[in-house]
Amino acid sequence: MNTDELIKKLSSDASVVSPRALEKRMLLGGVSGVFVSAAIVILWLGFRSDLETAAISSAFLIKMTYTAALAACAVAASVHLMRPDAKPAVWFALPVIPFALLGLLAMTEFAGAPREAWASIALGQSVSACIVRISIISVPVFLGLLLAARRLAPTRLRAAGAAIGFASGSLAAGLYALHCIESSASFIFLWYSLAIALAAAIGAIVAPLFLRW
Amino acid sequence: MAASEAQLKDLMGRSFGGDRRAHEELLRLLTPMLRSYFGRRVRVATEEVDDLVQEVLIAIHTRRATYDLTRPLLPWVYAIAKYKLFDCFRRTGAAPLRQELHETDAIVEFEGACSARMDISAMLESLPEKQRLAIEATRIRGDTISDVAEVHGWSESDIKVSVHRGLKTLAARFGGAKA
Repeated sequence: MNTDELIKKLSSDASVVSPRALEKRMLLGGVSGVFVSAAIVILWLGFRSDLETAAISSAFLIKMTYTAALAACAVAASVHLMRPDAKPAVWFALPVIPFALLGLLAMTEFAGAPREAWASIALGQSVSACIVRISIISVPVFLGLLLAARRLAPTRLRAAGAAIGFASGSLAAGLYALHCIESSASFIFLWYSLAIALAAAIGAIVAPLFLRW
Repeated sequence: MAASEAQLKDLMGRSFGGDRRAHEELLRLLTPMLRSYFGRRVRVATEEVDDLVQEVLIAIHTRRATYDLTRPLLPWVYAIAKYKLFDCFRRTGAAPLRQELHETDAIVEFEGACSARMDISAMLESLPEKQRLAIEATRIRGDTISDVAEVHGWSESDIKVSVHRGLKTLAARFGGAKA
């Protein structure tokens, strides 16, 4: 086809585009994914039985604040990276702040506990379950964001994949916190972070295969 | 003469509103700019340049939701073009020369820097004659370096150096107030 014909054909189906179309698509993908992930948590794991009383405990609030802060940065970074002319932005550095704050909290926890208790504080009772489950719960969110991203225009595919993985990992960790009964800041600092980092790494590896355009 | 940033941006704004004529006009005006962008960077047959141009036009059309109406348009267009160019290099296995890569970046940065309602020719006036002519010929009209060398009787490396210095001067002068 020659270029003139192509232009005619393209313009004949040029419809209205909302100025916030990109954000809306990512939101739709992310929210759909979160719904599916939440359904998985509810049907498969169930909420912790003491959720009503635990919901005001400091450990629960730390989990929620930490995962929400990370998710906010990661979602913002993901949206940002969907534009072809995106340059590295402050969103990539911001997760360091909640990470460092929680790290400090974890250190004070260790400092205030006898040495013999360190292992049980750090490892809790469910390290491997935590990592495996957060990874599984993150899949629907990851797919939702990935499907949205496929119709957008990321040019830094690995960074975009990492950001999407990071976002789905932090959202999944927030959902998993509704089930998880671990109560130490160190546990969250070590294993929630590791699970989220894992999701980001998998995103960086897998997403570029699907994001080429 | 290439269409101006302000004109193209206005067309895109109207295209977002569903104005098909503006959309068509936008794609039409971008076509020669893209052709010259690829023509300068790919040493292949014109059909392949046309394929690249069409790929970018389709991407501009189907992915225009990724354009932020508050930002300059041309850096967005050239970011897509650059992505398609590198995708082409990746597919064909041809590695771009480092010099070209560097210049690709320089021109995109430069275009981003000067896109804010500045008249390119007025900026070029501020450069020494030789640099201005070299940039106009190779960067705006899209002539090949060897053609320019023949017309003006300069050596090819002379022209490359002039273009490079001129762009550097302009970037330093106008790139400071990046949006």
